[in-house]
Formats: sequence, structure tokens, C-alpha cells
Amino acid sequence: MLPMNWHKALSLFLWITPHILLGVLAVVLCKRRLYREFPCLFAYVLYEIAEFILMFTLYSMPSVTGEQYTHAYYATLTLSIALRFGVIDEVSKELFRESQFLRVSARRALQGVTGLLLVMGLLLAVCAPGDSSARFIAGASVVNRGVALVQCGLLLSLLVFSRFLGLSWRRSAFGIALGLGVLTSVDLAYSALRAEFTSAAAAEYLNLLRTGTYLACVSIWIGYLLAPEPESASPTVVADDEVETWNTELQRLLRQ
Amino acid sequence: MIAAWTLVAVALIALVILVYVAIRNRTRRVDLEGTIQAFRSLDIEAFRNLVDSAEEAFLRNHLPPRKFREIKRQRAWAAFLYAWEAGRAATALAKVGQAAQRSLDPEIAASGVQVTENAFRLRLQTVRVSLRLLTEVLLPGRSSRSLPSLDQYEPAAQTLFRLGRFPSGVQRLARSKSA
Repeated sequence: MLPMNWHKALSLFLWITPHILLGVLAVVLCKRRLYREFPCLFAYVLYEIAEFILMFTLYSMPSVTGEQYTHAYYATLTLSIALRFGVIDEVSKELFRESQFLRVSARRALQGVTGLLLVMGLLLAVCAPGDSSARFIAGASVVNRGVALVQCGLLLSLLVFSRFLGLSWRRSAFGIALGLGVLTSVDLAYSALRAEFTSAAAAEYLNLLRTGTYLACVSIWIGYLLAPEPESASPTVVADDEVETWNTELQRLLRQ
Repeated sequence: MIAAWTLVAVALIALVILVYVAIRNRTRRVDLEGTIQAFRSLDIEAFRNLVDSAEEAFLRNHLPPRKFREIKRQRAWAAFLYAWEAGRAATALAKVGQAAQRSLDPEIAASGVQVTENAFRLRLQTVRVSLRLLTEVLLPGRSSRSLPSLDQYEPAAQTLFRLGRFPSGVQRLARSKSA
């Protein structure tokens, strides 16, 4: 009896806490006026809070059946997924905003990556449709799995691409990408397992993993958005002779 | 079932990469020494020679096919290493360019924009070159078209040269510490 209570208490804690923190995040976004730069993130945060209130109300109502609750959950998840794509788009625009060249070429590359990931998601849905005994849950999880694959792949591509090119992230944008990246990667694992293991017991344990990750994700967002942006002109400078050395080296290279 | 566990493994790898990038970004600095060393290690003329199609045609005509493939593979690999190093140097250049973009001096900031743009172009060009060279390493018998040279060095060098000619005292380029 005792472990069951602990499980329920932990589940509730991991479910409620991230949404309280999302409220804090909404305040941070307002106070720092970051909602202007990240309107989709702001909308996503507000939507997630509203969704939580709705789902918690449904959960507390004895008249609502488990099936009704599940249907409501997946219905609200749809807009959440769309908003996440919006957040990824915002982050990529922010990353490439300083380079005209990258705004064109990198976005084209990202479109290619998105297409590739979509094909992979569709192929996975066809080749591994999940547990056929629980059609709705397995079906929804397969869709969610495909979406998580695309979102995780896109965020990973952004991070790897920026590192590869030597692009500087603004702290806030990096935090958003990192948090969402962690969330979508765990979402991918969660949905993949959920499509196969559709029992209630498996769902309970997997939900703990998902809500725990959500808590971590929101904490990352708050941490990065609260941290001050580094000064644009730091006291640590590159000396004149260092720049000259560069020029000399480059010219030597060109003359060879 | 196999697909599920494969995806779990993929997700875990993604998570590890994310954590790695996050940790690396916290400790990132513009490595001036490394950049200078990278440029020093490059011999653009040697690179041009390695990817010269006329040189390749000469070797093809004067060497037995087997020997030619062996030599070509070695030449392609050497050229690949050059392109790889040029790409790394371009990444470092981009970082410095972005640091310069944040300078309070508008001239340095403008030059920083140019350095960054050229560095990005060079970086992407080195990727294309590297991929083609890797194909040649794997399929040395295939006749290769002339490779694009790493000609983005020139504009990058010119803008950097302009950066260096600014009056002393204002040559203060902000070093990026951002995450």
C-alpha cells in the first residue's frame, strides 16, 4: 500500500510542479519582455498552463472516465505539438539572424533535414505500428513518436550546425533549444516505448519519466532565461598585435 | 519491438549530444592561438596542386592503373586533410568575426560582419570539397572534375586585413563568452 501512495504522490508532484514553474517562466518572459522575441514560446507556456488546469480538473472529476481523459489529453496535445514547431522556428530564426548568407542557406538545409526526418517518421509508422491490441493509444503514440523524432532531429541539427559553423547563441535562445531538445529526445523514447507497452502499469512508470523530464526542461528554460546575457563588449579584449598576426598569417597563406 | 529499442537508443544518443554541446558551450572561448596555428598549417598552393585536374591527367597517363589509384587515393586523402583544417580555421574565424560584430566601434563591427559571412561561406565550401574528396578516396578510379578551390580565403583575408589596419586604441574586439 505504501509504495503505491509514494508512486501517486511522486506522480502528482512531477505533474504539478512543472506547471507552477511554467507560471514563473511566463512571469520571467513578461518581465524581460522576451515574449516579443519568442511569441510562440510565450503562447506555448500559456497554453501548457491552461491545458494543465483543464486536465487536472478532468482528473479530479469522478464522472470522467479514463478513456475520456485519454482522448482529451491527445486532443490538447495536438496544439502543443504545433506550438513546439513554432518555438523551434523562433530559435532557428534567432540563431541565423546575424548572417544574411545563413538565413538563406541554413534554412534551406533545415528544410531538407525536416523532409528527411518526416520521411523517417512516416516509414517508422508504417514499419513499426506498435501494439495492435490497443489501437488508439498505440496509434497516438506512433504519431507522437514521429513528431518527437522530427522535433528532436531539428533541434539536434540546429545545435550541431551552430557548433560546426562556429555560430554564437544568445543565452536565452540556447536555453530554449536545449530544454526543448532534452524534452523531445525523452519524448521520442517515451513514445517509442508507449507504442509497444500499452498496459496501465507501463504507462504509469513511463509517465513518471516524461513528467520528470518536463520538470527538468522547464528548469533549464528558467535557468537560462534568468541568467544575464553576457556583455557585448567584454573587458577581455583581443590585442592589436594579435589581429596583426592574423593578417600576416592570412596574407602569407594567400601569397604561397 | 526492435524499432522501439532502437529509438530509445537514438533518443539517448541525442540526449548525450545535447548535454555535451551544453557543457562545451559553457566553456567556449575564441581560441586565437588555435586559429593562427590552423592557418599556419595550411599550404594553399600544395592543396591546389593536390586537386589539380591537369596533374591528375598527367599521372593517369604515366602510371599503371593500379599505381595511379594508389597515388590518387593518397593525394585525395591529403587534400581532404587540408580542406578539413581549412574548415576548422573557418569556424574559428567565424567566432572571431562574431566577436568583432559586437564591438562598440561601428567600423570593426562592420568588418566583423564581413569576416563572419566569408567564414561561413568558406566553412560550407570546405564541406562540399571534403565530401567530394572522400568520394575520391573511396573510388580513386573515377575521373574527377576539377575541385573548387578554397577561394573564400581571399575575401576573408581582406576583411581581416582591414580589421588590423584600424587605428590603435579602437582595435578592441569583444571576446565572445556567450553560451
